[in-house]
This record gives sequence, structure tokens and C-alpha cells, in this order.
Amino acid sequence: MMKYLIFILLFLINSIVVAEEVNIALEKVHINLRDKHSIERGAKFFATNCMACHTLVYLRYNKIAHQAGITYEKMPINVKSWPYGITPPDLSLEANVRGVDWIYTYLHSFYVDPARPTGVNNLLVPNTAMGGILAAYQGQQILASDTRQSRLIFGHEPQWYDKLELKSSGSMTPQEFDSAITDVVNFLAYAADPYHNEQIKIGYWVIGFLFILFVLAYFLKKAYWKDIHKKYQDKK
Amino acid sequence: MTKKNSLFTWIAARFPVREFTKQHITGYYAPRNFNFWYYFGSFSLLVLLNQIITGIWLAMEYVPTADGAFASVQHIMRDVRYGWLLRFMHTTGASAFFVVVYLHMYRGLIYGSYKKPRELLWLIGMLIYMTLLLEAFTGYVLPWGQMSYWGAAVITSFASAIPYLGKFIMVWLRGDFTISGVTLHRFFSLHVIAVPLVILALVFLHLTALHYVGSNNPDGIDIKEKKDRAGHPLDGIPFHPYYTLKDFMGAIVFLIIFSIILFFAPKMGGFFLEPDNYLPANPLQTPEHIAPVWYMTPFYAILRAIPNKFLGLVAMAAAIALMFVLPWLDRSPVRSIRYKGMLSKIAIVIFVVSFIGLGYLGIQPVSPLRSAMAQLFAASYFLFFLTMPFYTKYEKNKPLPDRVTA
Amino acid sequence: MTTKEQEEDEVIDAARRCFLRRATTVVGGIGAAAASVPFISYWLPSADTEAAAAPVKVNISALEPKQQLTVSWRGQPIWIIRRTQDMLDTLTQLTAQLRDPDSLEDQQPIYAKNIYRAIKPEYYVAIGVCTHLGCIPNYRPDVGGISPDWLGGFYCPCHGSRYDLSGRVYKGVPAPLNLKIPRYMYLSEQEIVIGEDKEGVEST
Repeated sequence: MMKYLIFILLFLINSIVVAEEVNIALEKVHINLRDKHSIERGAKFFATNCMACHTLVYLRYNKIAHQAGITYEKMPINVKSWPYGITPPDLSLEANVRGVDWIYTYLHSFYVDPARPTGVNNLLVPNTAMGGILAAYQGQQILASDTRQSRLIFGHEPQWYDKLELKSSGSMTPQEFDSAITDVVNFLAYAADPYHNEQIKIGYWVIGFLFILFVLAYFLKKAYWKDIHKKYQDKK
Repeated sequence: MTKKNSLFTWIAARFPVREFTKQHITGYYAPRNFNFWYYFGSFSLLVLLNQIITGIWLAMEYVPTADGAFASVQHIMRDVRYGWLLRFMHTTGASAFFVVVYLHMYRGLIYGSYKKPRELLWLIGMLIYMTLLLEAFTGYVLPWGQMSYWGAAVITSFASAIPYLGKFIMVWLRGDFTISGVTLHRFFSLHVIAVPLVILALVFLHLTALHYVGSNNPDGIDIKEKKDRAGHPLDGIPFHPYYTLKDFMGAIVFLIIFSIILFFAPKMGGFFLEPDNYLPANPLQTPEHIAPVWYMTPFYAILRAIPNKFLGLVAMAAAIALMFVLPWLDRSPVRSIRYKGMLSKIAIVIFVVSFIGLGYLGIQPVSPLRSAMAQLFAASYFLFFLTMPFYTKYEKNKPLPDRVTA
Repeated sequence: MTTKEQEEDEVIDAARRCFLRRATTVVGGIGAAAASVPFISYWLPSADTEAAAAPVKVNISALEPKQQLTVSWRGQPIWIIRRTQDMLDTLTQLTAQLRDPDSLEDQQPIYAKNIYRAIKPEYYVAIGVCTHLGCIPNYRPDVGGISPDWLGGFYCPCHGSRYDLSGRVYKGVPAPLNLKIPRYMYLSEQEIVIGEDKEGVEST
């Protein structure tokens, strides 16, 4: 956790132009990689909303991605001429690079900013090139008025919701939006490590087996070492 | 005679199977008082076997070009059956190798296993350690992530600190004016075939040197001095079945711990598989925070502690070189820490704290306080070695026991 | 301890050791077998290889009479030839010269076990690999081309094997079997899929 925070802190400090002081903590998201339906919903959301710009090149042969409509042919593979100078990154491994909390927080932290060419800005990545795709669902957010910020409790690290307020609502309630983004983040976590569930399952079997083998090996060792202990019992 | 026995007899008449078994397994007498610290040599062999086998399998699907490497690793993780398992076995094994080797070296340190007549054994072991670091370094470059690329850039740039020929040597090492697919491809060859062959040869020499003089033990006394009528050391026991069974049992405990990490925490919070290495190598963008993998960080911390490029490298090289000459720095008449004086005991504690401290500091980003601490630990690290001829010679030791203590 | 007690102890010890040795070997053996599963499975075709081995769709609407179309399926050349009526008429004339005129050998799916060796006589679908040693035969529909009595078929340049226009092998040539017909089916009048039929996909 510490490592991610340091990474983000350093990343933030090194941003090319910092519009304002960014100081928000990452909101913890609770994902469950065993919730297959959540992952499938997240995949569908991705296919509908994210695939126009972001690729998932390493999921080319992934069943869940395929069923959700994320196919290699539909991906914007070569986005060389992209507005705002930066190519939207491939997201196959994003959950491993940034961590799920970062992605969850990032997707919640957009707000209206007329100074930006995209019309929006982001608390976690100032001057981000990503547009306000999620505003249709989350609604439009603006920077909170001072009165709101002064309500921060001492010692509590500011979260995105401490610094932003909803200007106009979108098609989802805040809870629905949280749930949808949790699904997306769950899907991205799955996308980064699709073998995860099998990995854990096999792990239990392997370690269980090794315990049994250890018991046998231990008694076998003791049976033979009895000779040695007998032979040297008068020596200490 | 059964068919199987006669096959064995046929081979045994043409190949020294019986003699080899007698000399090195059933008839090799090892001290009876081996303790916990004596597991790590055989664990090293086990991990070596793991690395070779998983490495061979990975090399079947890995693509050693700048364009294909990163994607081929993802291909292994996702599309090849059980590819993720073999890859994790290899990365966990790499870190496990250093855990085991460091503990193995520590055993040598505390029980004086480097002292006469085992100086050559220690030197060969140090060569194995160096080769292992090279193997780990070249291997880490292969996934061609951001840390792979920039780690290679930083470490090969050490060469440029060499006076006069430095820049030329750096280009010669890289095969290009910057780290590129050329470098990757040659590192692949080194990692997969050249360095493993060297390691295998050195391990063979290491075991040969060990068996020639016999194993040391926690008391540091020579078991060959007292023998029974059959010519076997009084305090010696045949390696087989006693240590084969004990090592087998210990190996299973090791495998349990290894499996817990492998299946439940292979990334180890970013210490075994860094987040930045999940980004493909980008020659135009340096990561915020470049650090070598944990097993190289003590030396990296020493390098960073010296605010001069050339001298920092000299210090780092000296830190390793001092380990080589340890047998000649230790002037104690006694091998094992159990019977050395208080000064040696304090020195060892300071050394361990310094080494671990340096390792920790090597991972952290630089700060004035951390730099000062790194300099302090580097100093105590060097002093451990440099003052050793004095404190080992003049300290008051304990009397040695007559026979080994269990 | 009396000697008798000691002896009994030793017998118990030996029996115990024997049992533990055997038990550990058996359990260890199971472990070794289980551990080998990932290494052996690793060699099976990976997901991308299996995807590349997927059935191939071919559009046959542009195929002219007597024209041969070659597509790749699982690394093999697949021929689709649009046969004319005069080509089909030759098939009954060659029975005596063929090794396996009734396609009794298992070189074709059930729906290709006829004189046309195809679902529809007009379109001939075959794997264009000689059953001798694997060369790709030449398509020789030209009457009198190979020899004066040549009615049309396939001729393999490597060792001279000859096949008729249904891919049935001649007698007296090195090739032992008729050309292999893959599993295929019609998705429509214009489209066939190679490597899949009503029963399912051809396994890898």
C-alpha cells in the first residue's frame, strides 16, 4: 500500500503542469474476484463505454472478454492520431500497474473544468487527457465550495468526495455508479490476472498435500534417527 | 538374478556407480550435529533444479526480441496452459534462491566454514554468488518491462565509470548505443545457456571441494581427528540415510513456505514483481523510482551512499571483494562463533543489522536522513571486515569441546 | 532392557521403517505425478494456437467452373474445385484403375463416402496433400495432359502419384490412399466452413 502511495505521490509531484494542489487519498474498493457476475457486468460496461478508446490487447483469447463483446477486431488498435497528444493506454495490466484503489478513485474524481480542452479535469491526475465519459452515469461534478472543504475532520485524509460535489445528476444514483465502477474495477483486476481463482484453488490443494507428505517424512526421519540418538545418548 | 539386478551389474561393471555411492552418499560421513543452518545448501540445489526446469519450459514460449518479449510473457501467463504457474515458480524461485543462498552464506560466516582447509570452498561459493547475481540481472531484463529496461540501463552504465575505456565498454556490453533489442537478445543467451552452464560447473566444483575436505559443523571442531576402528569419525554419521531423510523432511517444509508465497502472494506486494514492470519498456520515459530487486539492494545502497560516481562503484566492488578475502581476514584460532570472544559476536550482530539496514535503505527513495544512515551502515559493513584481523586475533575465546555438542 | 526386549524393539522398528518408507514413497509418487501435470499440459496447444486452428469459412460464390481455390486450414492447403458435368462423368469410367474406388478406407467423413466424395457433386473439397509422403499434388483437369488416356485429376510431381477428379488414388502409384476429405458443411449456397460439420468442430 505504502509503495503505491509513494508512487502516486512522486507521480503527482512530477506532473508536467499542476493546476492546483492535489492531495487526495485513494478510496479503498472492495472487489471479489470470485464474483463472476460482477466481472461480467464490468466487462459489458467496458465494452460499451471504454473500448472506443482503450484496448485490452492481452485479452484477445479470453472467454469472458469475448462473451462481453470485447473482441480484438473491435479494438482501436492503432490510435496514432489522437486528440490531446496522448494515446489512451492499453488496460490489460492497468490493475497491476496502478492498483484497484487507484483506478476506482480515478474514475470517481472527474469534475467540470472549462480551462481544459476536454472540458473536464481529474483530482488524481491533474490535466488528464481522458474525457468525461462517465459523466453520463455519475453526473457532472464540480470542485466543492470552501464551506464543504472546511467540514473536513482533522487527521482524516481528504477523499475525492470531500473535494467534489455533484452539479447535475447522471443516469445512475451514486450507489449505482459506485457499484458499476466496482464491477469495472473487478473486471480490470480479473483482466490483469485471469488465472487468479485457479491459482488460489490449486494453492490450497498443494499446501494440503505437502502437509500430509511432511507428516510422513517427519516420522520416517525420526524412525531412522532413533539409531543416532540411541548411539550418542550419553553425549550431549 | 532378476533382470533389473543384472542391468545394474552391467552398468556397475562399466561405470563407478557403486564406488560413487559409497564415497559420496552412503559412505560420506558428515558431523552428527548439523542444525537448522545446514539445510540451506541442499535447498539451494533444490531451487537451482526448479529454476532450470521452469526456465527450460518458459524458454519454449518466450520471444527474445524487443517487439515480442513483453507480449510473449503475457502469452505465457494467459494463453499457455499453466503458463502462469511456471512463470510464478520461476520468479518466486529467483527470490527464494537468494533467501536460501544468503542464509547458506550466513551459516558459513558464523561457523567459520571458510577457514582452513575450506578457503577454496568459500571462494568457489563466492563465485557462485556473483554468477547468481549476473543470472538474476540478465533474467530480470527479459520481460522487457519498464524496470527491466531501466534497470539494465542503470547497471550497464556502471561500466562508463571505468576510466578511459568506460564508454566503449558500456557500448560493447550493450551491443548498441543504448539499451535495445540487441542487448535483450544477448542477455537472453547469457541467461538461458551461458551463465547456467557456469553455475552448474561451479556447483560441481563446490561439492567436490566440500567432499574432499569434509563438512564443518556448528562447533567448528574437526570430526576427523577422532576416528573409530573402522576409520570413520566418531562424531560422523553416514549422509545416507540420515541427512538424505532429514533434508527431504526439511525440503518439504521449505516447499510449504515456497508454495504459500507462490500461490497466495507471488508479487509479494511489489517486491518480487514490481508494478512498473507491468508497463512495456519505454525508452522515452523513466519510471519515478528505479531500484534493483531486493536481493541486490544492500550493494545498491552502498553505491548510493557515496556521492561520487566512480568511488561509489569502487565501494560497491570493495564490499563484494571483502567477502572473497574473508578466510584471510579472520585470524581467530577458533572457527565457530560459539567459541569466539564477545567482540566477534558483537561484530556479527552489527554486520547483520548493517546488511539488512542497507538492504532496506536500497529500496527506499533517497532522503538526507536515509543517505546518512546508509553511510553509517556502509561504514559498519566495511569495519566488520577491516577490523576483523584485529578483534579475531586479540579477543579471548572459549575453550573448545572435546567432542561435538548435539 | 533385556536382549529379548531389544530384539522385539528392533523388529518393530524395522517394520515401522518399512511402512513409513513405502507410505512416503507412495504419497511422494502421487505428488510427483501431480507436479508433472502442469509441465505436460504446458505443451498442449495454447489458446492462440487453438484459435488459429478454428474452422475456416470460405465464400464460393465467385468460383468459376473448373476453377480451383486453395485456402489454409490448420496449416494445410484445402482445395475447393467447382466441377463441371463432364468432369463428373469421368468418375464412373475409372473404377478398374483405382485402388479404392468405393472409398472404403477411412479417408473421408460419412457424407463424402460416395463417388463424388463430396456433399454436393459440384463442389469438391479436399485436403491437398498427397497420401504418399505429403507433397501438394498439381491440379490437372486437362484431358490427355499427363498421359494420352488421362481424363483429368491430380498429379503429384514428387513421386508420380495420380488421383482422379474425386481424389481417388490410381493403382500402381506410390500413394496408398485416396486424398483426405476434411469435415465441412454448407452454411449457405455461397459459404462453406472447413473443419466443422453438424456433428461439431474437428478436435485439435
